[in-house]
Amino acid sequence: MAREVISTGNQLSALAAFDVECMFFGGYPITPSSEVMHEMSDLLPTVGGKFIQMEDEIAGISVALGASMAGTKSMTATSGPGISLKAEQIGLAFIAEIPLVIVNVMRGGPSTGLPTRVSQADIGQAQYPTHGDYASITLCAGSLDECYTETVRGFNLAEQYMTPVFVLLDETVGHMHGKAVLPDLEEIKANIVRRKRYDGPKEDYKPYKAEMNEAAVLNPMFEGHRYHITGLHHGETGFPTEDAEQCQFNIARLVGKINTVAAENDGLDDLADYEEFMLDDDCDVVLIAYGSISRGAKEAVVKLRADGIKAGLFRPIMLWPSPAKRMKEIGDKYKNIFVTELNMGQYLKEIERVMGRSDFGTLHKANGRPIAPLEMVAKVKEMF
Amino acid sequence: MFKTINPGGVPVWVNTGNCKACDICVSVCPSGVLGMRYDATSTLGAMISIDHPEACIGCNECELTCPDFAIYVADKKDYKFAKLTDDAKERQIAIKANNYMSLDLVGVK
Amino acid sequence: MAFNYDQYLRVEKMPTLWCWGCGDGVILKACIRAIEKMEWDMDKVCVVSGIGCSGRFSSYINCNTVHTTHGRTIAYATGVKLTRPDAHVIVVAGDGDALAIGGNHTIHGCRRNIDLNFILINNFIYGLTNSQISPTTPQGMWCVSAQNGNIDPTFDACKLAIGAGATFVARETMLDPKKLEKIFVKGFSHKGFSFMDIMSNCHINLGRKNKMASAMENLEWIDSITTPLKKWEALSPEEQMNKFPTGVLREVQQAEYCDMYDMVIAAAQGKRGKITQDDFAKKI
Repeated sequence: MAREVISTGNQLSALAAFDVECMFFGGYPITPSSEVMHEMSDLLPTVGGKFIQMEDEIAGISVALGASMAGTKSMTATSGPGISLKAEQIGLAFIAEIPLVIVNVMRGGPSTGLPTRVSQADIGQAQYPTHGDYASITLCAGSLDECYTETVRGFNLAEQYMTPVFVLLDETVGHMHGKAVLPDLEEIKANIVRRKRYDGPKEDYKPYKAEMNEAAVLNPMFEGHRYHITGLHHGETGFPTEDAEQCQFNIARLVGKINTVAAENDGLDDLADYEEFMLDDDCDVVLIAYGSISRGAKEAVVKLRADGIKAGLFRPIMLWPSPAKRMKEIGDKYKNIFVTELNMGQYLKEIERVMGRSDFGTLHKANGRPIAPLEMVAKVKEMF
Repeated sequence: MFKTINPGGVPVWVNTGNCKACDICVSVCPSGVLGMRYDATSTLGAMISIDHPEACIGCNECELTCPDFAIYVADKKDYKFAKLTDDAKERQIAIKANNYMSLDLVGVK
Repeated sequence: MAFNYDQYLRVEKMPTLWCWGCGDGVILKACIRAIEKMEWDMDKVCVVSGIGCSGRFSSYINCNTVHTTHGRTIAYATGVKLTRPDAHVIVVAGDGDALAIGGNHTIHGCRRNIDLNFILINNFIYGLTNSQISPTTPQGMWCVSAQNGNIDPTFDACKLAIGAGATFVARETMLDPKKLEKIFVKGFSHKGFSFMDIMSNCHINLGRKNKMASAMENLEWIDSITTPLKKWEALSPEEQMNKFPTGVLREVQQAEYCDMYDMVIAAAQGKRGKITQDDFAKKI
């Protein structure tokens, strides 16, 4: 049975983690994400889960990764400056294939930026948060409901693909307070994805032995499967190696297990990677927006239609890997495309790349204020 | 591979695959049992040699101080160790002065 | 037969990649002997190491091992221990890893009193990266990042640990492996954060550039700068300045972090009342 709750985006994200049996949270306070942490501090011990506020952002993710390495489903939450600090450990999570959900409640940047104001300016960072080669999974919530459902999805993807997953909320959605309709709890529980286990003879266990585009299989610690986890390039047993062939295979597998799988299967799971709102065959213009901005964009679409311009909205939900196939179709089909985001053009770059064109109408703002529907309407009308 | 098993009634034995000729075991032996010998195929061109096993008193210092798990001492219940003699002590002093090389060799590595 | 090191080691990884005579190997051996004395099941042991020569410690020991990023060992180990309080967690870090980049985590590991066994392998230099100064490199010594002589003052890791509240603080050197093993056993037995500053030789990097090119010379230097605590206390302040006391420097019993978190769980589950200041002797 669906559940109706009154809550905030941050709290819903924490509730989602709790509902999918995340049993560890490690983090550090930072506006506007702290409420995720506060909620986890409250929820986890009720079921014997563990929570700790660490001494800095880096320790915040390190402790969560340590817990995940030991076999416990884990989470951390932060904002832009925290992701910047966590960069090196995110890289360790990528190369060692450690599942972790990282919630980023985006605020104005760069640096201290606008701590209490909204932005969507960590999109590029979510794709490439750290040095080296790897592939990012990044989800972006556009409503209160999605703060919950995309966090659930983030955990399932993390466990399935053995990787850190970014769940982006922007400050507006994170602090938004209102009614959310959440899926039936039994259904959520029945569909929890848990990381694979190796059940064969212990002496044959090779945690990082995987075919191309497959994830490692890491058993929990302390159950008799002793292996080595390292941030160095490693072979099948987890031990460091510099072997040319092995390293090339590793990297190709790390990137391929997400990017190639997404391309070949049109996504990483059965859930929607995007939403289309009033996107008919005869649209005059397609707006592209994600996160809290997409809410205003929907209003703008309705207003434009009332004013005689047949507008539609394409809203990416999984930002990385991008819903490239559908975006290309849209780019090929519609003459007028209008991109609006709360940054200076970070996802625009991906849209241009996928569609192979750069003749878009745009409205980009990075001053910590949302974009009102009428602003979008006015800018779209300039295209005609 | 490791050889922590006594090869047969000896007080002290070596896993030559692990020895890196650091000299530490030779320097801590009170009894002049050990010395280094030239070995062209080993680290630093030298290898530990058990020159006077009969003088081994089973103090275990060599085993405890070897960083590379290269030298092992028999269990006290499996072997009757010697007592420390003045001759042995003098020999040890000479070995040290000979740059830890066995006394029948010139002590330059 | 001799002590069976094989069952504690990943024998296929031997010989170690450490230089000839490197103290790391002696510390590894003493650690293994201490684990045997503790009768720990290796399935329940986790060794977390950082970056540096000491970082390779975790490769050789046959248990659950983690090789983390520079300076963050204690944070990762905290995650392992907090989720698995039944496990025995040994943390190994070098002087740069623990006191420079990882200083903050070291301080808070000590403060939290979580039951970790922290082995600081202090060889007074950044060895793996070829001789840069570390926070314990003596002033006046020559290093590649101090080519006219090191002017950076040093600090005493044990004083830092005591100041940060560690409930077990000890210092030893690898000159006497039997003493080292005893200190490890004491540290491993202590319930709470055990901070063990183990002075080690890096004759290849620090030594060769500072007139102690052989393991033995380097060990003699370490011998000359350390003295057992009782003897140290009898020295004059000028003499004390140039010697490190060895042995157990602090050992107190205090609530361990995982046990305290059990109080939080009990409170959250309604099995006890809310946690208040009255639960703690220390009110500030």
